[in-house]
Amino acid sequence: MSEIYDIGYRHYDGPRLGRGHTTRALAVHSLRGVFGLGRPARSKLVPFSLAAIMVLPAIVSIAIMALMRRAGMSYSGYAVIMQAVVAIFLAAQAPTVVAPDLRFRVLPLYLSRPVTITEYVGAKVVAMTVALYALLAVPLTVMFAGELLIDLPGPPRTKEYVGAMLTGLLLAVLLAAFGLAIASLTPRRGLGVASVIALYLLASASVPIMYSTLLSAGNDAAARWAWLLNPFWLVDAVQVWVFGTTPNSEGGYPGGPVSFVIVVLLIAAAMAALALRYRKAASR
Amino acid sequence: MHILDTEGLTKRFPTVTALDGLTVTTGPGVTGLVGANGAGKSTLIKILLGLLPPTAGGARVLGLDVTTRGADIRRLVGYMPEHECLPPDVSATELVVHLARMSGLPRTAARERAADVLRHVGLAEERYRPIGGYSTGMKQRVKLAQALVHDPKLILLDEPTNGLDPRGRDEMLTLIRRIGAEFGISVLVTSHLLGELERVCDHVIVIDAGRLLRSSAIGEFTQATRSVTVEVDEGTQALAERLAELGHGVAPHGRMLLVEVTGPDTLDAIRDATADLGLCLIRLERGRQRIEDVFRETAGV
Repeated sequence: MSEIYDIGYRHYDGPRLGRGHTTRALAVHSLRGVFGLGRPARSKLVPFSLAAIMVLPAIVSIAIMALMRRAGMSYSGYAVIMQAVVAIFLAAQAPTVVAPDLRFRVLPLYLSRPVTITEYVGAKVVAMTVALYALLAVPLTVMFAGELLIDLPGPPRTKEYVGAMLTGLLLAVLLAAFGLAIASLTPRRGLGVASVIALYLLASASVPIMYSTLLSAGNDAAARWAWLLNPFWLVDAVQVWVFGTTPNSEGGYPGGPVSFVIVVLLIAAAMAALALRYRKAASR
Repeated sequence: MHILDTEGLTKRFPTVTALDGLTVTTGPGVTGLVGANGAGKSTLIKILLGLLPPTAGGARVLGLDVTTRGADIRRLVGYMPEHECLPPDVSATELVVHLARMSGLPRTAARERAADVLRHVGLAEERYRPIGGYSTGMKQRVKLAQALVHDPKLILLDEPTNGLDPRGRDEMLTLIRRIGAEFGISVLVTSHLLGELERVCDHVIVIDAGRLLRSSAIGEFTQATRSVTVEVDEGTQALAERLAELGHGVAPHGRMLLVEVTGPDTLDAIRDATADLGLCLIRLERGRQRIEDVFRETAGV
């Protein structure tokens, strides 16, 4: 018969790693949480289905390139066309990153360790950004790889691909910061999902209406500003300004760096909101 | 070396003063921090963790100043909060491994330590199941395990027996005693019941309304209780009279008698008196001092 011997308490005298290690570990942990890795299958269903839907147009596009020998979907327009899927992903998964720690009051267990509140929030934003960026970058990269393999006549659209990848990163940071700021306001996950999706619907449904109303009033310049109220068109405007791509909106955007300035201000505002929210949560 | 020492430690919130000029030192071992709810115990713990700046005065933990070396303190100290703090959808193993990494342990070390510590607190196979399905006692063990996983020099336990049934309470107290004695980790444990801490502490600090009422070794507390409870089957009255005749301080206490102990001969006298009267002695118990007694004593002085 085997017997388990109690060998008594053993002290730990191995290495204790610094802030870089803990912050990275927290970011990876949160990122795994976004995709439901290490959780029951139920938690993986939504993120992976949405990720699969994101890749579908890229695959169709490769098929078009291979069979019809002509360019498929544009890289620069991918995020705008697929914006509903990205928004649903953000709404569904942002609360899983921040809500449980607030709702079940896990935060004190972090703060009683060498982890600071800034590192905690930073790791969460990084995790959500990486998740959103993966959602955007994977289909773009699949499509680009397809284009290179099929070898269409004429040079590959490398510049457009690189531009879309870079603006995708900007979009991911903006959405992550905003999504987490909104989701962190309520410890209830369901409410968080509803708030993010409601805000997105408001921004996406109202914008074309505002545009056409202003246009029919003969105010063309003001109408173009309406597009900047939606984060996807806003970042598209940055892409148009930086990379000179075709606008993915009717009538184009206001020119110049104004869209970029707005993006930077919005990211700063969302980060400030997160900092305030967590300063309050930490003092509880 | 002092495990912790405070000097005129004061914390004022806009509406209340939580700590008022608290000066206290403790050495290694298990220290009990006793006070009624709202006496300032949790505030003191937050200050000791370097999470709350004191209004005045200062405090040091393991020789490190709480206002300047907070991060270093949190590396060497474990904390078990009073409130519920566990996410229900992860397993105990997963949570404790993750929190070990948050304390700076590398991945493999975190796994080993988590398994070790969960075994020490007495969580077996259930540690792989989601915490949501655990009993209160099991949850308290997980909370204790996460405080121990990085092998701290000192752990701060805020009301660890809260919400436990008598058996769970006993097991938790035994565990705390083991942590202090066998694991060689100093413990600061808060409670609003002095009687409960008597069993496990080397030293007890009593605070009330943020002030120090008393800080002394546990032996002095029990010495201070100079009374025994005597219970006899019948003839309580006769025994009381006999003892009073012999010059002992006797007070009836329900069906029992409280007898003031002046020395070992008091106990002999009780024994002889019951034997002489032919009474059936049911109980002869040293009086257990409760927090109220300390309050009364201090008020008397």
